[in-house]
Amino acid sequence: MSSKVSGIRGGRSRVVPDDCPINVVQISGLPMMKMIKHCHEEGSGSVDVAQGALLGLVVEKRLEITNCFPFPKQDDSVDEDEAYQIAMMKKLRRVNVDHLHVGWYQSADVGNFISLPLLESQYHYQNSIEESVVLIYDTQKTARGFLSLKAYRLTPQAVVMYKEEGFTPDALRNLKVGYESLFIEVPVVMKNSSLSNILLNQLSDMVPEEDGLGFLDLGTSSVLEGHMRCMMERVDELNQEAIKFNRYQQQVLRQQQDKYRYMQKRAQENAARQAKDEPPLPDEDINKLFRPLPTPQRLNPMIVAGQVNAYSSHVAQFCSQAMAKLFVTQTLQKAKEDTGSAKSLQ
Amino acid sequence: MSRFFATGTDSESESSSEEEQVQRQPAAAFTFSDDEEETKRVVRSTKEKRYEELTNLIKQIRNHKKIKDMSSMLSSFEDLTRAYQKALPVIAKEESGVTPRFYVRILAELDDFINEVWEDKDGRKNMNKNNSKSLGSMRQKLRKYIKDFEKELTTFREAPDGDDEDEAEEEDVDSDDSDAKPVKKTVPKLEQEKAAKKPTAGDDGDESDDSMDWGSDSDTSSSEDEEDIYTNIRDRFLKKPEKEEEETKREKKERRDRVKKREEEDDGGVWETVRGGVAIPSEKPKMFAKDAEIDVNLVVRKLSEIMAARGKKRTDRREQIELLHELQNISELHNLGPAINFKIRLAIIAAIFDYTPKVSDAMKPEYWTKLLDRIPDAMDVLLANPDMQVAEEILEEHEQFDQEPYQIRGCVLTVVERLDEEFVKLLKECDPHSNEYVQRLKDEIKVTQIIDKVQTYIEHQNKPAEICRIYLRKIEHLYYKLDGTVLEKREGRMPADTVTSVDVMERLCKYVYAKDNTDRLRTRAILCHIYHHALHDNWFEARDLVLMSHLQETIQHSDPSTQILYNRTMAHLGLCAFRHANIKDSHSCLVDLMMTGKVKELLAQGLLPQRQHERSKEQEKIEKQRQMPFHMHINQELLECVYLVSAMLIEIPYMAAHEFDARRRMISKTFYQQLRSSERQSLLGPPESMREHVVAASKAMRNGNWNACFTFIINDKMNAKVWDLFSQADKVRTMLKRLIQEESLRTYLFTYSNVYDSISMEKLSQMFELDKPVVHSVISKMIINEELMASLDDPTQSVVMHRSEPSRLQSIALQLVDKVNNLVDSNERIFEMKQGNFFVRGGGGGGQGNFRERQNYNRQGQDWGRQRRDRENRDRENRAY
Repeated sequence: MSSKVSGIRGGRSRVVPDDCPINVVQISGLPMMKMIKHCHEEGSGSVDVAQGALLGLVVEKRLEITNCFPFPKQDDSVDEDEAYQIAMMKKLRRVNVDHLHVGWYQSADVGNFISLPLLESQYHYQNSIEESVVLIYDTQKTARGFLSLKAYRLTPQAVVMYKEEGFTPDALRNLKVGYESLFIEVPVVMKNSSLSNILLNQLSDMVPEEDGLGFLDLGTSSVLEGHMRCMMERVDELNQEAIKFNRYQQQVLRQQQDKYRYMQKRAQENAARQAKDEPPLPDEDINKLFRPLPTPQRLNPMIVAGQVNAYSSHVAQFCSQAMAKLFVTQTLQKAKEDTGSAKSLQ
Repeated sequence: MSRFFATGTDSESESSSEEEQVQRQPAAAFTFSDDEEETKRVVRSTKEKRYEELTNLIKQIRNHKKIKDMSSMLSSFEDLTRAYQKALPVIAKEESGVTPRFYVRILAELDDFINEVWEDKDGRKNMNKNNSKSLGSMRQKLRKYIKDFEKELTTFREAPDGDDEDEAEEEDVDSDDSDAKPVKKTVPKLEQEKAAKKPTAGDDGDESDDSMDWGSDSDTSSSEDEEDIYTNIRDRFLKKPEKEEEETKREKKERRDRVKKREEEDDGGVWETVRGGVAIPSEKPKMFAKDAEIDVNLVVRKLSEIMAARGKKRTDRREQIELLHELQNISELHNLGPAINFKIRLAIIAAIFDYTPKVSDAMKPEYWTKLLDRIPDAMDVLLANPDMQVAEEILEEHEQFDQEPYQIRGCVLTVVERLDEEFVKLLKECDPHSNEYVQRLKDEIKVTQIIDKVQTYIEHQNKPAEICRIYLRKIEHLYYKLDGTVLEKREGRMPADTVTSVDVMERLCKYVYAKDNTDRLRTRAILCHIYHHALHDNWFEARDLVLMSHLQETIQHSDPSTQILYNRTMAHLGLCAFRHANIKDSHSCLVDLMMTGKVKELLAQGLLPQRQHERSKEQEKIEKQRQMPFHMHINQELLECVYLVSAMLIEIPYMAAHEFDARRRMISKTFYQQLRSSERQSLLGPPESMREHVVAASKAMRNGNWNACFTFIINDKMNAKVWDLFSQADKVRTMLKRLIQEESLRTYLFTYSNVYDSISMEKLSQMFELDKPVVHSVISKMIINEELMASLDDPTQSVVMHRSEPSRLQSIALQLVDKVNNLVDSNERIFEMKQGNFFVRGGGGGGQGNFRERQNYNRQGQDWGRQRRDRENRDRENRAY
């Protein structure tokens, strides 16, 4: 029996292109629980993020994640980190665990996972292990009762972009990379062993019915407030970037005008000289006179835009859910009242 | 061996100079009888002094050479050449113009050294910039300078270790003959000088420019020689009967020389003469000849004689005091009249003042008590003789001691001012927590009595400028003291016509305002006046005076001590405003003081350790002089607490009202910092210090919990620390309680109005333990100021919320919209640029419609934003109103 994880339901799952080495991620209960535990213990504070490695196998375009282990907290020594990973994998192999490194996971709050370091490390992962994914686990959302686990991969364009390391506007345009096409989401499927499924079924029978109503908890404003605040920050940042770019454009324009004027003057002078049978002025390197301005890097605004996008989609999703819940509660309330009034009538 | 040569070490030359001093010390006393020894020394010291100077400099240069400190060496060398120039006449005189060997030697050494360093290219490269620069200029200078001494140098280099017995010999000779035949000596000396001139002038043909120098030198030397002749001639006259005046003059000159020498020795500190046995009466010289007719003139002459020695290094100050006492006794014995008596008394006072040599140090307590006895005595004499005139303008020739009206030169006002300053210095010297301080402070009564006496005298003289000065002295003794009768009078426990210190201040200050023509006195008087009013809770008077004087605009141009007074005044004004529950005024008075974090320094109540740069000695001295004596200090904890509490009372409701306003400003930065730093702490214990108490109270107030807030602000700990320091502590506490209740109510309404549809006023008045009318008025005020969107429902006695204020989420959404608008704007601009290019290239019209549309949309958005902003502006205006 397999069940889809909630994150995919309302999400913007795109069609996974054919050339992708995997088209679905299948995760079993054990790594999931381990990951959740680690993320909540280490990454729930908003400052640090918890990270870890995923172990598993690739089976016919399906990435099966069967185990995982956490990375130690970052202490800036890459060598130690690597040694730790290798040692860890070796030891896990001895206890008969899949020891193939197939990706990594990271805790996140809503949309803030899209960042330069993530981009970078995923690029390196995909470079060395082609089918690797990054699992993003949202601690905040899960704390409110919605398990949120998403698997991402870099799009081929993003890989190319990163390889060339030119984040100029032109390069981005040529590659047709935008904030929406940096990452591609891979659907996540959860699969448990039959034994554990049986256990779960038994457990669900033991849960009293009324606790199910907890899902109707709205808690709208506080969550939305948090999202809005974060979104405001990002929008501000984006605005700064836009202003920066605008300034750059103006400078370029001015320079171009100067250049044009200079050329015209040159042409006039040369014409006058020709009239007087004098040799034309020597051609100077115009690039020396007008040095091309350094173009601002567009990677950061793109990432910020991605974050804003993530936030807004979350807000939209949250609102639609809240709306649905409202209707549900309304009818429930009505039903209650009806029965209540009926009782009082009696 | 000559001591100039071989003694390269410090110790010896110094010991020699000290020796000399010891030797001379006895002459410092007033030995009017034997003069011979003294005359000897004058001549000797010129040479010695010059030589010593030279040797000292040479020593310095050698030291610099050792550590290769080029820049110091350069300056020392320059000094050396200068000193040599100065010493030339002496050299010409003593050594018949031959350059002394030690001088030649140092030149040779320097030349070698410089050449060596110059050659050492690597070393030069490693030298720092300053040093290498100095090296260059040093080399050039030395080369130029050495040209003059080429002959001597070559001879020196031929026989570098030649001894110099001749010099030592010569020294002996000169010391011998100087005391033997002072008169004769002038003639050969002149000859010698001429002789010295000849060879140098005719030395070389190409040194014409240098010979110019020589010529000028000989000029100066001759003039100096003339002086020498003069002294020598004078020596001749010494044996004559009218020697006394001459003697003192000469002594003065000599002493001046001594002073100079001391300075050159770089001897910063002042020498205390420690000689016990001299002042024994039996040894004391006779004042007057036994059978002399003692009359006024004689005494005056004697007095001026004694006073002439005043302020000189070698004068034994203690003996001078005793001499003056003796003189006073004699004059009293012979009954020479009050004027002369007073004159002598003034002289004694001045002499006692002089006893402490340093301006920055306090005088010794025994002299201080003496002073406190002397001055009242003198003032009594002055007051007993109303027709005695003492003034600075009276010249010494016009003084009249024998008949009325007496005319005496002198100034009692300066005496009193000096006394007052000494008093402050003495207080600062004591440990403020010791008994000594209290004992010393008891003298203030005496000081004020003296001031009163001088005041009556000066009032009698009727000179406005001086009256202003003495009044200010009095004011400055009065302004910081709390007079209990003022309060009693206000409460009607004292008859209305009792004269309190406030009245006295009023009278004195008004006189100063009217009559003073130096701005400083008036400014200080106003500040003291304000201070005094503020101290006695006369808030309105104090405030009006501040506002009328416009001091706050000009105070930064005044001198530091006045600025300190201004700061003190503002501090007290703030405290006064606080007592009167004028929290805003209190805050604005104190904010300038507290914002800097240098309250201690601003109030001159202690020096702050400076981190960036050490202050120099002098600076520290100056700053120490500015410090206030301890009994005038304002309690800093009280100040800070009052400031923080008033900031809390203003800031917390404001924060609650403007929680979502992006444009919210901080009212008080310091308070904010405190609050922020406590929020950053992960574990919060119960409050310990005063600041923590206030921060805890602020947090309680934020939740509208007035009771917790109140208990944090007013409890035993805080009472002991702060509130009991107020003179009417209970009044302040009740006032604080009421304010806390009111402001908590406001905060509560701001924070929680969004969860209420309506609130009963009765409930509110119960919650905040306020009377219903008070609650009513507070809420009405908030409604009028448009701080609270609500209306009062009279029949049910409740506040009905309009709920027109956006909820938290809504206001955040509004902010977000603002920001997104901005983003769209800037994006639009980027796009415009693109489109401009597009038009140039393609010239298509298709985009234009779109573009305009977007612009319209944009404008709408902006309009919308503007509306919102307008509304906010209006709000702000209302609040300000």
